[in-house]
Amino acid sequence: MPIRHDRKVSILDVMGPVMVGPSSSHTAGTARLGRVAREILDEDPLEVHFHLHPPLAATYRGHGSDFALVGGAIGLNVDDPRIPEAIRIAEQMGVKIEFAEEDLGEVHPNTVRVEIRGPNREAEIVGSSIGGGVIEVFKINGFQTRFKGDSPTLLLFYRDRPRMIAEVTGIIGDEVINIASLYCSRKQRGKDAFMQIDVDSPISAAALARIRAMADVAEARYLDRIP
Amino acid sequence: MIESFQHLEELARDRDLADVFLEMDEQEHAVPADMIVEALRKRRAVMRDCVERGKNGGESMGKLVGHEARLLNEAFRSGRTFLDPLTVKAELYALSVMGENARMGVIVAAPTAGAGGIVPGMLLALEEERNIDPERTVRALVVAGGIGSIIALSANISGAAGGCQNEVGVASSMGAAGVAYMMGGTTHQSIHAAAIALKNTLGLVCDPVGGLVEVPCVKRNALFAVHGLTAAQLALAGVDSVIPMDEIVEAMVRIGRSLPRGLRETAEGGLATTETGTAIALRLKEEANRRRAERAAERERAAQERKTGTT
Ligand code: SF4
Repeated sequence: MPIRHDRKVSILDVMGPVMVGPSSSHTAGTARLGRVAREILDEDPLEVHFHLHPPLAATYRGHGSDFALVGGAIGLNVDDPRIPEAIRIAEQMGVKIEFAEEDLGEVHPNTVRVEIRGPNREAEIVGSSIGGGVIEVFKINGFQTRFKGDSPTLLLFYRDRPRMIAEVTGIIGDEVINIASLYCSRKQRGKDAFMQIDVDSPISAAALARIRAMADVAEARYLDRIP
Repeated sequence: MIESFQHLEELARDRDLADVFLEMDEQEHAVPADMIVEALRKRRAVMRDCVERGKNGGESMGKLVGHEARLLNEAFRSGRTFLDPLTVKAELYALSVMGENARMGVIVAAPTAGAGGIVPGMLLALEEERNIDPERTVRALVVAGGIGSIIALSANISGAAGGCQNEVGVASSMGAAGVAYMMGGTTHQSIHAAAIALKNTLGLVCDPVGGLVEVPCVKRNALFAVHGLTAAQLALAGVDSVIPMDEIVEAMVRIGRSLPRGLRETAEGGLATTETGTAIALRLKEEANRRRAERAAERERAAQERKTGTT
């Protein structure tokens, strides 16, 4: 089932990325998906589980997706010539890797659920590699969203309450940073909630500190553009 | 925001197409034009390197391909080719890039890795054969990328989504527009070059043997680089596509949806399930299993050694 893009793909997305072969959806896109999981975790992983949607499970090995997913998860860029060695490098780092097949529903054929665990935290994403190295992550730690990794992004996990959005966007606005898009979802009113804010230019450490200090913010994770 | 090719033509009729695309991206993605040009300058250099490395060939990951570029290069160098040099070089450069790709070398996805030989094949061969300023090639990459980004408004660019028409077809269409631009064509001619190229790849299925981007992908890139050149030639001579580009893209999406799953990258149909294709897939699987078993045994041994080391 093709996913309609709600944001335009840029020239550099189409004429790129610079990457290690052999397949942009199976190497570049999957490496970026692994990388998203790693960046959300924000520490070196100890354990990564990849749950591959059946069509991807059928083709991933021949395309080197296993190297790419693992490479991304240990922090390699898509154009890093060490990607073909990623599994060996992960083993040396002592990272436990597992691949399994899982039906992820009515999604793009190249979709994967990644569970990643580090010494202090864990994270989970579900996302698709939709071609040309472009990705769409539509679930982060159980929350529905739309994440492409093509701009700096703030991920906020918090307790749902009135004025939350206004306060956060206020702090970002104080820095004269333009907000490109904003996604919110929550598990239940007044309970766990999630906000994703894509911005046009980087958010400063000072603004991040202010956001982290806000009442009811459980976690604020700032991600740069995923290379 | 540019919403369609018709819209693009209205907007860019009497303007430089690369300028229009750069403005579009600046507005849409807040990336300054000079940054895009600088990034594409680097990508052109990566393409160039890739062609140089790839010319000599070498074995691929799946060992199904790897010597095409070397053989054609040798034939060309020793005067044994019969096509004109532009055509031969377009084929050669496309093969070179795809050989590198199949060896897990560093390439530029344009728009995908599997179709990554086509745009460099066309543009770099033309640049060299017609002594075109490399800066103009960089601007042609802007045009090619811009065309792809408008196609991507309505189509997923991957063989898994819609077959090889969505990869190789789109690459050849992008490249054709870039070539028309490099040769001094108008916006109208670039769009029609793209249309003629894309229209004549519709229905192309994705059926890679053993699921690897090797057979038919490597040679297919060479052939469709030439296909794109001929499309640009027609458009530059004033030939228009009767079906407008927007409708061709729409047709591509419809065709892609109606392709059976087996012909969309799953390696469960077409060439992949021919007698030879099946035999190759079986051999690859056996080799992969053997390697996995070896790795597991090695891990086991290492664990044993650690254990005996500590006791
Ligand atoms: S056959 Fe499939 S894998 Fe090969 S180039 Fe075409 S779309 Fe890509």
